[in-house]
Amino acid sequence: MIAVNYAATRAPDSRARAAAGAGVLGLLRRLDWILLAALAAVVAYGLWAISGITRYAIPGDSDYFVLRQAVFVTAGVAGLVGALLVDPALYRRYKRPIYLGTTGLMLLVILVAGATRGSRRWIDVGFFQFQPSEFGKLFFVLALAGFLADRGKRVTDSRTVFEAVGLGFVPILLVFVQPDFGTALVYAAALAAVLFVACARWLHLAVLAAVAVVGAAAILWFLPAAGIQVLKPYQADRLTAFADPGRDPGGTTYNVNQSITAVGAGGLRGRGVDGATQTNLAYLPEHATDFAFASLAEQRGFAGVGILLCLYLLVLWRGIRIVSVARDAFCAIVAGAIVFALLFQIFVNVGMTMGIAPITGIPLPFVSVGGSSMISNLLAMGVLQAIHARGRGNARRS
Amino acid sequence: MRRGLVDRRIRLLLAVLVVAFAATLGRAVWLQAVRAEPLARLAKSQHYETVAIPGRRGAIYDRSGVQLALGEQATTVYANPREIVDPRAAARAIEQTLGRSAASVLPRLRDRSRAFVYVARQADPTRASALARREIAGLGFYAEERRLYPQRSTAAHALGFAGTDNRGIAGIEWSLDRLLAGRPGSQTFVKEPGGRSIEVVSTTPEREGRDVYLTLDHNLQANAEAVLRETVTKWRARAASAIVLDPRTGAILALAVAPGFDANRFGARPPDRTRNRAVTDNYEPGSTFKLITVVAALSERIVSPATAFVLPYSMQVADRVIRESHPRATERMTVAEIVAKSSNIGTITLAQKLGKERVSKWIERFGFGRRTGIDFPGESPGLVLPPQRWSGSTIGNVPIGQGIAVTPVQMAAAYAAVANDGVWVQPHLVERVGGGARTRPKKRRIVSSAVARTVVAMLQGVVDRDGGTGTAAAVAGYHVAGKTGTAAKPERGGYSDTRYVASFVGLEPATDPRLVILDAGDEPRTATPVGEVAAPAFQQIARFGLQYLEIPPDAPVRRGQ
Repeated sequence: MIAVNYAATRAPDSRARAAAGAGVLGLLRRLDWILLAALAAVVAYGLWAISGITRYAIPGDSDYFVLRQAVFVTAGVAGLVGALLVDPALYRRYKRPIYLGTTGLMLLVILVAGATRGSRRWIDVGFFQFQPSEFGKLFFVLALAGFLADRGKRVTDSRTVFEAVGLGFVPILLVFVQPDFGTALVYAAALAAVLFVACARWLHLAVLAAVAVVGAAAILWFLPAAGIQVLKPYQADRLTAFADPGRDPGGTTYNVNQSITAVGAGGLRGRGVDGATQTNLAYLPEHATDFAFASLAEQRGFAGVGILLCLYLLVLWRGIRIVSVARDAFCAIVAGAIVFALLFQIFVNVGMTMGIAPITGIPLPFVSVGGSSMISNLLAMGVLQAIHARGRGNARRS
Repeated sequence: MRRGLVDRRIRLLLAVLVVAFAATLGRAVWLQAVRAEPLARLAKSQHYETVAIPGRRGAIYDRSGVQLALGEQATTVYANPREIVDPRAAARAIEQTLGRSAASVLPRLRDRSRAFVYVARQADPTRASALARREIAGLGFYAEERRLYPQRSTAAHALGFAGTDNRGIAGIEWSLDRLLAGRPGSQTFVKEPGGRSIEVVSTTPEREGRDVYLTLDHNLQANAEAVLRETVTKWRARAASAIVLDPRTGAILALAVAPGFDANRFGARPPDRTRNRAVTDNYEPGSTFKLITVVAALSERIVSPATAFVLPYSMQVADRVIRESHPRATERMTVAEIVAKSSNIGTITLAQKLGKERVSKWIERFGFGRRTGIDFPGESPGLVLPPQRWSGSTIGNVPIGQGIAVTPVQMAAAYAAVANDGVWVQPHLVERVGGGARTRPKKRRIVSSAVARTVVAMLQGVVDRDGGTGTAAAVAGYHVAGKTGTAAKPERGGYSDTRYVASFVGLEPATDPRLVILDAGDEPRTATPVGEVAAPAFQQIARFGLQYLEIPPDAPVRRGQ
């Protein structure tokens, strides 16, 4: 095994610079085409799924949502191409503006929401509702990765870990109070992934995990018992409902029970678009967004579910592979965090629809209706491809 | 940072991916392969709801198309006590709109152990909708049909009753329930999560119940009931019953029982009151039963109407001494006179000439001892001893209508056979069902036409002849034939001196009988029974019937009479 010490490098090395300079054609040659194909397949499959799921959502306009979603995909692909062209080193250089900009935007959302006296996670920009926390995920990862990569070997110091957690905690808190508990969890998962790939010590990771567990227990049980409500009651109920689906089937566990019913009713072959009563009669709530997986399962059955899961598996596997070919620590950390955040979103969402994960309101990547999620995920995939294109294996080949 | 460390962590990441993937896929298999069927059923059951659509219950009409029983729209009000916020306020609203006292409803509304209680079944629809407009949470409404008997007491015993659930529980309502009730349909619809129905998926059409037309005529029926009511009141009798029969068709035009009751209040009356005595009750017929022996003797050619016998006041039959009902000297009587004067000794003399086998045969031939098969439930077959069980004295009492039990319907049918030129026709109450064919009653000839005519002429003597027992039954302008009957009711070890059944069966006009009328009074309080009790009632029923049916007189009233 060759020990490579790349964490110390503060700037892209000459070989990578040469690769970047090879122009667009060179970049194209060095893309992960399998990942790209898998991605295209997932996105196309997602569009097909949404076309079925939302066929009867708006009477007389069966294509409304799928056309909107296609527009978002187009925007997302443009973003992907854009991200591909940007050298990841640039993010590292501008990590402070990125961090401050992201945090500031989230603060703005809260202030706007506070001004309108409502709970808002998005900013209305006409055609769609721009949800900063979705995009923030990517920038959050970039900034944190830059911070940790700059610390180099000191990542094993508890001080560094402490600082990273401190940095990460601010946006997480801002997302949490929007309130968007699900996305806050994704942020936390990304933070964990960043520390993990940056090779923080197991001891530190274990301590953080313990703190998280104790914190969750406190938020869910101890603090409410002491009269302090951190989560809104519905959030806490949803989180714990999956462990006890028999409880209050008309209320708290309604969503998860309807979701499980929809998945099961789909059977092996699915009930088809017209026969999917759980979806079409809206017994299944949020079936185009958070519970899109359950709706897909109802309409297309295990066959449809299996295809989607396999495509996800392919995307994630290729993503993890990119971590290992990243040319420097920063890129590796970014890639690792992006892939882990994606993995976290996919399996928490899918698990939630089937009653094996808490209900948190995380959209299903590349499938759920929603512009911010689609565009930011494709953007992240662009960053991933950019890392791959400038990665070690490719650089050697060029 | 060593490369190997990163690689290990990447491998760990891969492991996490594999575990998550396996868990998700496994869960999907569990739900979609193993649990698919019950979950699909669950989905279906919450999306679809099937409700029954009751089929309208058929109406019951009399022969002229007057409604005797019909269904009326009503609204049933129910409550889910668990959803009622303020039971006291709800009870007050119910009192104000439906008129049910709040105190009676309140305990039910407060009973949170139940999710369904009736507030008012089959309430008035307008009042119920007034309550519905108040939009009290927890109250529910559904349409129901309420059985209504617009003629109230008229034909109540024949109609019977359909209960609150609209199913027949007595009388014609019970026996024809399958035709009247129809078949409920059902409707399956898709409902929203909120419970609102949005689309009808399938409908099984309900089949309306069929209308039933009875042979009864509501006017004859009401008149017969009124006459019986008077009779019962006048003689303080326990009960009375009457049958008006068309001998040619077996159609029962009136089937009356007194005391009556309001058919709408069937449930509130004791069974003793609602029983259709004319069909379900046995009685000892007494003298009206002498007809059988006379017909038998004539048919077996043992005697002719003019054959005369010398008859003492009393005679010994085995261990018993039989007497006439009124003291008289030994007399010479023709068969016609035996009938007119209702001679016990004469009838028993004829019976003895026939012998018990032949007497039994003719009793059976007239249909006694078995059900006539009238289309009414609960008919009694009567009680007739077979000849092998006759004792020595039986020949001395059965021919005069003692020691035998018959129903009014059997007796009316027997006389109708004589009136119908000797052809017995099964009595029936149902004329037709819906637009269907008329009932075709069973017919059988039991007496020759000649004997039937002879006997009718003899029965005419009962009413027309001076000294006849039934002169009180005479109707001006018509020849009436008939027979009186008085039977002491059996008591322990013998017959009562004070309790008896007084009856009269008659046919008119005697020259071409169109009506057979039987009436019987149970335990009238009078010393001189028949002539006073049964014959006048018969006369009133007959007179009204003849006029109402516009039957032309066959005995023009003589000048000066």
